[in-house]
Amino acid sequence: MDSQTFFTQRYQEIGGSLERIVLQRCIRTNTLRISSNDLQKRLAKRGVHLQKIPFVKDGFYVSTSRFNLVSCPEYLLGLFYIQDAAAQLPVEMLNPLGVVLDAFAAPGGKTSQLACYAPVVAIEENKSRFQKLWNNLERLGVGNCIAYNMDFLEVTTGFEWILLDAPCSGNYMLEPGWVQKNSLERILERSYIQQQFMHHALSLLKKNGVLVYSTCSLEPEEDELVIQSALDTQHVHLEPLSCIGDPGVTVFQNYRFDPSMTLCRRIWPSKHQIIGFFMARLRKHA
Amino acid sequence: MLKHFIHQFTKTEVPYLQIGGKFFLKNPELATYRLPQKEDYFGIFLGEIRRNTFFPAVGLLDLLSQISVEKVVVNQHGELDFLYGKHLRKRHILSITGTDRPGSLKLVQNEHDENLGYGILAAEKKGSQQVLRHILDRGIFIQRDKNPDSP
Repeated sequence: MDSQTFFTQRYQEIGGSLERIVLQRCIRTNTLRISSNDLQKRLAKRGVHLQKIPFVKDGFYVSTSRFNLVSCPEYLLGLFYIQDAAAQLPVEMLNPLGVVLDAFAAPGGKTSQLACYAPVVAIEENKSRFQKLWNNLERLGVGNCIAYNMDFLEVTTGFEWILLDAPCSGNYMLEPGWVQKNSLERILERSYIQQQFMHHALSLLKKNGVLVYSTCSLEPEEDELVIQSALDTQHVHLEPLSCIGDPGVTVFQNYRFDPSMTLCRRIWPSKHQIIGFFMARLRKHA
Repeated sequence: MLKHFIHQFTKTEVPYLQIGGKFFLKNPELATYRLPQKEDYFGIFLGEIRRNTFFPAVGLLDLLSQISVEKVVVNQHGELDFLYGKHLRKRHILSITGTDRPGSLKLVQNEHDENLGYGILAAEKKGSQQVLRHILDRGIFIQRDKNPDSP
């Protein structure tokens, strides 16, 4: 079976599709520096017209722009971050009320968004990706973040709030030729690593603490299977997510997942007109 | 060297901590969240020493612009030109505050009093329109995005 047929069939099984869509460019206001209303007015004066994204707090679609947004003074001044709408959701779903651990922080979009809610301890192992994180923290004027260029598995401190935006195989909307580059074998390799990260993150989560797990993968092995392994082995339960998206799947091929998996959210590009995404919110039992 | 740079703009002390050759704004509350490991980035980055020279970061310039009067305020044309690394000319300038001594360092601010970078006041020469020589601007973020090894 060729890759195209393989992914088409498995997505059909779980209510999705491989349909490509045209993505609209999105930005998020850096509310550490400016309000969304003021940003909208300032960019309008430069001929950049924004349209509010209805399902996120501080996000806009870029309707028209006469130039590359990266070259405008407001970007250099750190007043906004270029970030897909789906990628703005996990932080809103975590909604941290205290210091938060950001396990895979680079390039810093979600880290800087978290900093609008609470102080952040950011971890990034890859050196060149850490430089990107540094660059964005500096540009956006994030003053309440401590960042470590280290392996997440070496963190030993407990947290009440954790964002685990795990490295994943991505999805077909993010890179040309994604379908040809990926296989079940590669997905299962990723899933194994993600389960390790999940178990370590949950070992750091304090009692009654909250962890949001997110990926930009649409593969159940990287999403529901990772959550299932947490439910099976750790004292955690899923909490509802009040955002767009389809419910997580409970049956996929030979897998039977917990009925509460429907509390997770999977975002299909063809249904929601944004990149593919998966999110789950777990709470550790008190 | 950090202190010497700051004193060219203000007599106010800026509390800092040093990690290797890098300086960060001291923040006792943030320090309570440290992990046992040595951090690489802490709050607001102020600058670093390379080859025995201090290089300020935009975070320090931002901070100084809130407490110093040593400023040049530019119009929108000046803002764009400065962010493209150009020197400032008379037609770019809305106001100059603080000392007018040539060779003085000046923070460059836009009409919203947001810091764009800094430069050095040029000596007045007959026929020259140049007011301030560019040293550093926030366009550095684009350069770093393109070339992660650039300072």
